[in-house]
Amino acid sequence: MSDLKSIPRRSRPLPAPRASRWPRFAVAGLALLAVVLWAVSLLLPWWQFYLFAPQYPGGLVLNISLLGLSGDAKEISMLNHYIGMKSLEDAATLERQLAVWGVGLVALLTVGLTLVVGKRWNWLILLPALGLPAGFVGDSMAWLYHFGHSLDRHAPLNIPYFTPQFFGWGAIGQFTTYAMPLAGFWLALAALGAMVWASLWRRRICKSCPLLAQCGPTCAHKLVGAAAP
Amino acid sequence: MQLSSVRWLLRGGAALASLALLACQPPPKPGTGTGPVSATLSGVSTSIKDLMAKRGLSEADVQGALETYVPTGKRDDYLIFASGGHGGQVLVLGAPSMRLLKVIGVFAPEPWQGYGYGGTSDAILASGAQNGRQLNWGDVHHPNLSETKGDYDGKYLFVNDKSNGRVAVVDLEDFNTKQIVTNPIVGSDHGGAFVDPNTNYVIETSQYPVPFGRKYAPLSEYKEKYRGLAMYWKFDKEKGRIDVANSWGIELPPYTQDLADAGKLDSDGWAFVNSFNTEMATGGTLDHKPPIEAGASQNDMDYLHIMNWKKAEELIKAGKFEMVEGVKVIRMTVAAEEGVLTLVGEPKSPHGCDVTPDGKQIVVGGKLDTHGTVFSFAKIKALIDAKKYEGKDIFGIPILSFKDAIDGQVEIGLGPLHTVFDDKGFAYTSVFLESVVAKWDRKTLKVVDKLPVHYNIGHIMAAEGDTVSPDGKYVVAMNKMSIDRFNPVGPLYPQNFQLIDTTGDKMRILVDAPIGIGEPHYSQMIKADKLKPIKVYAPGTNIYTGKKDPDAVESGKERIEKREDGWHIYMTAIRSHFTPDQIIVEEGDTVHLHVTSLEQSEDQTHGFTINMHGINLSLEPGKHENVTFKADHAGVFPFYCTEFCSALHLEMAGYLLVKPKGTPADPVAPPAPTPPAAAPGGPSTDRLPAAR
Repeated sequence: MSDLKSIPRRSRPLPAPRASRWPRFAVAGLALLAVVLWAVSLLLPWWQFYLFAPQYPGGLVLNISLLGLSGDAKEISMLNHYIGMKSLEDAATLERQLAVWGVGLVALLTVGLTLVVGKRWNWLILLPALGLPAGFVGDSMAWLYHFGHSLDRHAPLNIPYFTPQFFGWGAIGQFTTYAMPLAGFWLALAALGAMVWASLWRRRICKSCPLLAQCGPTCAHKLVGAAAP
Repeated sequence: MQLSSVRWLLRGGAALASLALLACQPPPKPGTGTGPVSATLSGVSTSIKDLMAKRGLSEADVQGALETYVPTGKRDDYLIFASGGHGGQVLVLGAPSMRLLKVIGVFAPEPWQGYGYGGTSDAILASGAQNGRQLNWGDVHHPNLSETKGDYDGKYLFVNDKSNGRVAVVDLEDFNTKQIVTNPIVGSDHGGAFVDPNTNYVIETSQYPVPFGRKYAPLSEYKEKYRGLAMYWKFDKEKGRIDVANSWGIELPPYTQDLADAGKLDSDGWAFVNSFNTEMATGGTLDHKPPIEAGASQNDMDYLHIMNWKKAEELIKAGKFEMVEGVKVIRMTVAAEEGVLTLVGEPKSPHGCDVTPDGKQIVVGGKLDTHGTVFSFAKIKALIDAKKYEGKDIFGIPILSFKDAIDGQVEIGLGPLHTVFDDKGFAYTSVFLESVVAKWDRKTLKVVDKLPVHYNIGHIMAAEGDTVSPDGKYVVAMNKMSIDRFNPVGPLYPQNFQLIDTTGDKMRILVDAPIGIGEPHYSQMIKADKLKPIKVYAPGTNIYTGKKDPDAVESGKERIEKREDGWHIYMTAIRSHFTPDQIIVEEGDTVHLHVTSLEQSEDQTHGFTINMHGINLSLEPGKHENVTFKADHAGVFPFYCTEFCSALHLEMAGYLLVKPKGTPADPVAPPAPTPPAAAPGGPSTDRLPAAR
């Protein structure tokens, strides 16, 4: 038995432990996760308006997605004609047509930036993810303002210009309104969260990167996740 | 490094999950802050006692009120489809509240629904013409709901017009009459409209015998020429319409056939109809002969007719029929030989012919006899199978022995008519002369309770009572007279429906419902959740084809076209305007109006009328209507919306201008209306947003 112990170990040395690349892949993965979230959010409503009035016991619902309107949009437009408001169908038509391309561009920028930027420009990877929901909110509010301030003065009912409430409770005539974000918007925020997380993670990786000194606007590895040169 | 990364992953995931939770929360509804304030019981009971004393109510009254009261926002458990009698309509009431929910125009024009006032529905009423004469009323008798496997399926309602021998189909998807079929052979019907357990056929049997085709024959040839008929209208369940071409009949002897019912379960494939006047009396009072009422009451027994319709169907397939007035009819000699038609005695001048839920028995009320007779289907079938006949009538139809065919008789009282059933083995018979409902045990054939009703009860109805599974909760006494029950409203008194609780040992009247539209005969009560009516029509629907009308108008496609056959006006209606709202034609022109409601919102109905033209349409959301009329009078005729649709309902109007013949072709266009600078915008009580 003791002979066995004395058998020399294999002369070939074990391979040196490789530096783990998975955190780098994970950063790219988070960017891809954001892309997936945006893609799904295209199919989901982003914002919801409820209109309550005595004649509508169940309320009227307007769902806004990046691609269009759903719910009781027709009925709400019909009601709006009494105060000379434009038809909801006429709102943000260009935005709706370009939505798929816009989301595509945001996705492309996000993935591209995540892969190539260096430590100093790391924060850039957040911009598209921030821009999409912020753009949505800003654009929607602008349209609401525009609709409430371009009322046809020859409409049956003449009311002062106003801006419909974009978030929370509001009131127009006998209608009480309630507006809130829906799944699509939350997914966009989740995508932003994923990118915040990716950027923080990225910072940690960069801090311990052996090529930190060579880091410029682009990653010294050329691509995040690439093997060290 | 790796471990801390995992921690990060988890932390981030938790943050995302909490975001998702936030997103799932629906908004609170306004005005639903607190629930009802519950008063103390003693407080309530004191005030109720005061109220009872003040209004002179008994405890039973209050109990009845509490059992039938349906507060606002709550709904009835059942719907009753009641014949509207002379009104030519069907009434829809809720139970237990007994509130009237709807009147469905069937055989008579009904202006609110625009039924028969210029629109597409005119064709339905026109299709009910007999002898080329449009009939604008009906004596509606027996509504029957369609069944699947012997249970109401809530899809269709059939109803007969006794006066003119017609049957109508009401589609319960939108509660509209979709078809009227006319019987070309008979003069009247009473045994209808009953369906078999799978609604293959709608059965209609004649009442007063006439020569087939209503042709002339003197009364002296009554026995030779006058006949009855059992019509089997084939129902096409796919199309929801009676398939006239595949319908057929069985010739019956000239006894006055009365009520009918289809067998179920054990007796599926069979149908039963009772009769009176087997004496074949024809009156002749001026010649000092007894009136029919006396002449028809001489024999101690009349005949229950037993029909094997499954076998009759085979005879039709085998070609054993003759064409009569375009209808395949099995002659009664053939029917008798083939075992399709058999008679059995029944106590004189009976009424009611009701198959029990298990299909094993047929109950016939005595009317002029104090008994209810319970026939056994098994015994009847055994006798027919064994061809064991007591004899034959003068037309050669075999007669079964009465005593061999019955399970027994119930001593009910004076004037038993109709019988309905519950789920606990009890039967409820209306007793006309005594003005009571008699409850009897189907096993012991003994009356266990009698409840006075007010007054002269005719038909009786039980909740899902003629299905294979009655609900047993309620019975409705359909009383012919109300005498002292309601406020006097002149010599023509309301009829009285009384809702009766049948859950206890003793029956109790819960509430009265006056019916002031005609004399309802039968009704049926269906569990409300079996009905799934639509709320709005798909845009541009022609409700009689169920499809988009070829002339349906879409928003923005409104137009006026002049064609060979006149002006075609393609119009839309939406709150609160018609487009176009000016129609200019010349005297004598034909105008085809195609109007579509663009609404898709629940309960948002518009109406449409043109003054002086007898036109009134109901434009429910999505509905399309076609109207053709002749502008035969020069002048100016406003048209407007006849439903108070919105705060600007009165403004929903327009003009039909009919120029006198020879007016210059290019009239001065009406000046474009100058829009007002500002319209008043006070607080609105309608569906109008106003200034906040």
